[in-house]
Amino acid sequence: MHEGGLGKGAILLYSVTGVITFFLLVPLLFPIALSFSDTPFVVFPPKGFTLQWYWKVINEPDFTTPFMFSVQLGVFAAIGALLIGTPTAMGLTRYSFPGRGVVQGLVLSPLVFPMLVTGIALLRLFTSINSNSSLTNLVIGHTLVTVPYVIRTVSASLLLIDPSTEDAARTLGANTWMTFWRVTRPQIVPGLFAGGIFAFVTSFDNYSISMWLADAEHFPMPMAMFALISRMFDPGIAAIASLMILMSIVIVVVLERLTGLQRAMSV
Amino acid sequence: MAVAETLPAPQASAGRGGLFAFGNSRALGAVMLLAPAVLFFVVVFVIPVGLMIRYSFYQQTSTGDLTSAATLANYVRLGSVDLYRTVVMTTLRVSLWTTFIAMLLAYPLALVMVRGHPLVGRALTVIVLAPLLINVVVRTYAWRVILANGENGVLNWTLAHFGLGPVRLLYTEWAIIIGSVHVFLPMMVLPLSAALGKINPAVEEAAATLGASSFAVFRRVTLPLSVPGLAVGATLVFSLTASSFVTPALLGGNFAKMLGTLVEEQILVVFDWPFGAAIATLLTIIVMVVNLASVWLIERRFPSRAAEAG
Repeated sequence: MHEGGLGKGAILLYSVTGVITFFLLVPLLFPIALSFSDTPFVVFPPKGFTLQWYWKVINEPDFTTPFMFSVQLGVFAAIGALLIGTPTAMGLTRYSFPGRGVVQGLVLSPLVFPMLVTGIALLRLFTSINSNSSLTNLVIGHTLVTVPYVIRTVSASLLLIDPSTEDAARTLGANTWMTFWRVTRPQIVPGLFAGGIFAFVTSFDNYSISMWLADAEHFPMPMAMFALISRMFDPGIAAIASLMILMSIVIVVVLERLTGLQRAMSV
Repeated sequence: MAVAETLPAPQASAGRGGLFAFGNSRALGAVMLLAPAVLFFVVVFVIPVGLMIRYSFYQQTSTGDLTSAATLANYVRLGSVDLYRTVVMTTLRVSLWTTFIAMLLAYPLALVMVRGHPLVGRALTVIVLAPLLINVVVRTYAWRVILANGENGVLNWTLAHFGLGPVRLLYTEWAIIIGSVHVFLPMMVLPLSAALGKINPAVEEAAATLGASSFAVFRRVTLPLSVPGLAVGATLVFSLTASSFVTPALLGGNFAKMLGTLVEEQILVVFDWPFGAAIATLLTIIVMVVNLASVWLIERRFPSRAAEAG
């Protein structure tokens, strides 16, 4: 086995990997193929070619209203997650104190705790205190599950900064807030940006929290899509799926350009 | 994530005033930074989960109020009624199969990502990660199109061309397993490739030099050293599959119910909060037991790695 190589099994390994890659990618092509079908129902193989389904869905309030609502919710959740997550990341990376592990475990726990159960617990809380504003409830729920992503990306950025630049600013008389705003913040912009995008995407795709807290007027995109699957039988549903896939591809490219996808999503 | 989910230790050296020291009190600085998050998490996470667990020990009267005495009746019902026991068993079976198949598929992917040609590795990383950003409902919809029963399903159409089939997959456990593997495979590949990347190639070369065949090197050296990555990945995939809702709802329907679909029905349709809370608590216990088992396995077999991660 030569250094860093795959040894004798290389060809076999590459072929197996090819088959698995096929399994990962090809399913995503079918909705796209079906969305151009000039038939009143979703059929395989697709027949003819038309863009009418795209025209139909972008003028369909059942699609556009939830879409815009999800964008709004995602922005609120990202702002909430940045406001709570950024100071938390600083506290955890710059201080050593008893109980640090407990705090860290607490703020990262939504990542390992079953999200479906988190949603049920939140519904229980909001029902018990009669909190009927669906938008507020959704923003709180989405902020809770997106904070860990901001903490991770901002912590990663903070660890790249030389803390002595902050010390220097303080020695020269800058107060705490000025040190943060003029010295620390400019250096962690990539982390803040990646964290914000992650929080937005996580919120936009969320189902397990929304399914408990949404109501008819506050209905996020994934739930609308779920409802349409059992109600819409024409290729419009495939067109919606294709638009969502297209949006994800754009986000992948943006993240890859910004920070490198692997670093942004590092486990 | 489960086990690897820790941040690096603070870099501020002891004795030096922290960045956000207020006056000379370092403790106050840390409190000011962390208090909002801790308060937020206690109020909207810890307390609600406690409330929910408490609910699972009561019963609901016809007016919607709780009975006064605590009881285990909801749990007894979950374990004794055939219908519900079937759901628990389906959940465990689907999650185990998904985890097992994801392990088999993730290994070659992770090996090529780490050891293959750098360009191939980079492309593969994007291919594995990108689907994570595609909505679960969209990905599951794609599988409905493929697995649809009857001649309109892509799979059955293809099989018919070879004179085979038709197969009936949609609304069975296997549809859920296939969909779950597709959705959660990246969660297995990521920790596994991280673990493979940490193995010193010299160890494998030494084994090969000493006469071990390629397969023996893999089985006796590479595989055992990658166990921490496999354990983390397996924990993630199992937990996510066991607590999923979208995939079982769209691919299993009413014919293959899992705990996620059962709890939704009990709380949002039947409005039986205490029973729903008991199902949610059971789900939490299953996930936590798997997580703890995985941590225990890694700490027992790889004490040094566990220390490094913690």
